[in-house]
Amino acid sequence: MLIQFLLIGGVIVLLVFFLRHHGTTKTAAGVKIGFALFMVLAAVAVLRPADVSMLAEFVGVGRGTDLVLYALVVAFGFATINTYLRFKELELRYARLARAIALRNAEAPRHEDAAAVGNTAVDKPVANTAVVDNAAVDNAVVNAEAKDQAHSA
Amino acid sequence: MADQSDVWLVVPVYNEAQVIADVVRNALETFPNIVCVDDGSRDGSADAIRTTGAHLVQHPVNLGQGAAIQTGVEYARSRPGAEYFVTFDADGQHQVTDVLRMLERLRAEPVDIIVGTRFKGDDSHIPLIKRVVLKTVVAISPRLRKLKLSDAHNGLRVFNKKVADELHITLNGMGHASQIVDMISQRGWRVTEEQVEILYTEYSMAKGQSLINGVNILFDTALKTGSKR
Repeated sequence: MLIQFLLIGGVIVLLVFFLRHHGTTKTAAGVKIGFALFMVLAAVAVLRPADVSMLAEFVGVGRGTDLVLYALVVAFGFATINTYLRFKELELRYARLARAIALRNAEAPRHEDAAAVGNTAVDKPVANTAVVDNAAVDNAVVNAEAKDQAHSA
Repeated sequence: MADQSDVWLVVPVYNEAQVIADVVRNALETFPNIVCVDDGSRDGSADAIRTTGAHLVQHPVNLGQGAAIQTGVEYARSRPGAEYFVTFDADGQHQVTDVLRMLERLRAEPVDIIVGTRFKGDDSHIPLIKRVVLKTVVAISPRLRKLKLSDAHNGLRVFNKKVADELHITLNGMGHASQIVDMISQRGWRVTEEQVEILYTEYSMAKGQSLINGVNILFDTALKTGSKR
């Protein structure tokens, strides 16, 4: 029994390592290898349950079924965290996309300095040139579009 | 009054139609440059902002406060002449006079970022539970202690162009406050804090982030992986 807990502890250490290096090609490959191994073991467990039971006894688990269950629990946790991280990553990309759209459609204040902003926006080189150019050139158009959107919404 | 045309206020807005116009108009009396980031509000906040003379950037969908701040800062730092940046809450909690005082220090002292704190001096006006939780956060965070910051989750921050250019918030939700603290220590920004007053109005109390959200923040922060840029 104790050995089994030690194994799980080892897997947790693996998970932490995985969290640290998430998103690199190495971990992506590692996940695939792990998955392949899992499939092979599953096939072995189906074909030769006696071997699994032997292995289970060796590591101190009662039956082969229990060993499979433990492996499943670990795999499930692993998969959950992997999914969570993937979602976070997607969320970030989605945020960047939405941000790009938002900045493209930025509205300067309509009255007083809208024109001044447009004129001065071109002088200074900045990181996000596309946005500035757009703001300078298309200000009037964008404002009009935004108004249309507001009406239709 | 000193010329504040090199200052940009970044105001993340989410469903604040009731108060946003007044808050922005009040701030516009002092600061000519304000960008409101409407984070996909459904209550006409955007229309309220359009009446004020502030710049408006609209997220097409709701992303979260962290994302809104990042968008606002990206917009502001691309404007010509922008040197100083302020993150300012939309619900009227923050005082313009506090911002002015912080800006004065930022211009005079060798610091990159000044964070507002509720915990210098008298803090008895802060609701008790909030006080206990916020102080616990500080007590258990070695990073905050090292930076000598007493209030990690204060929305009022004033910073210079260097910080604005390097700012890169990836936690879209409320975890951004801790992430900014991380960035302060990782990128070596010189930081100090300034006593600010938070007006706990009935409105802001109802709107403010609930303490249970602290669980979400902790989780996001714990599972945050090194972001690839």
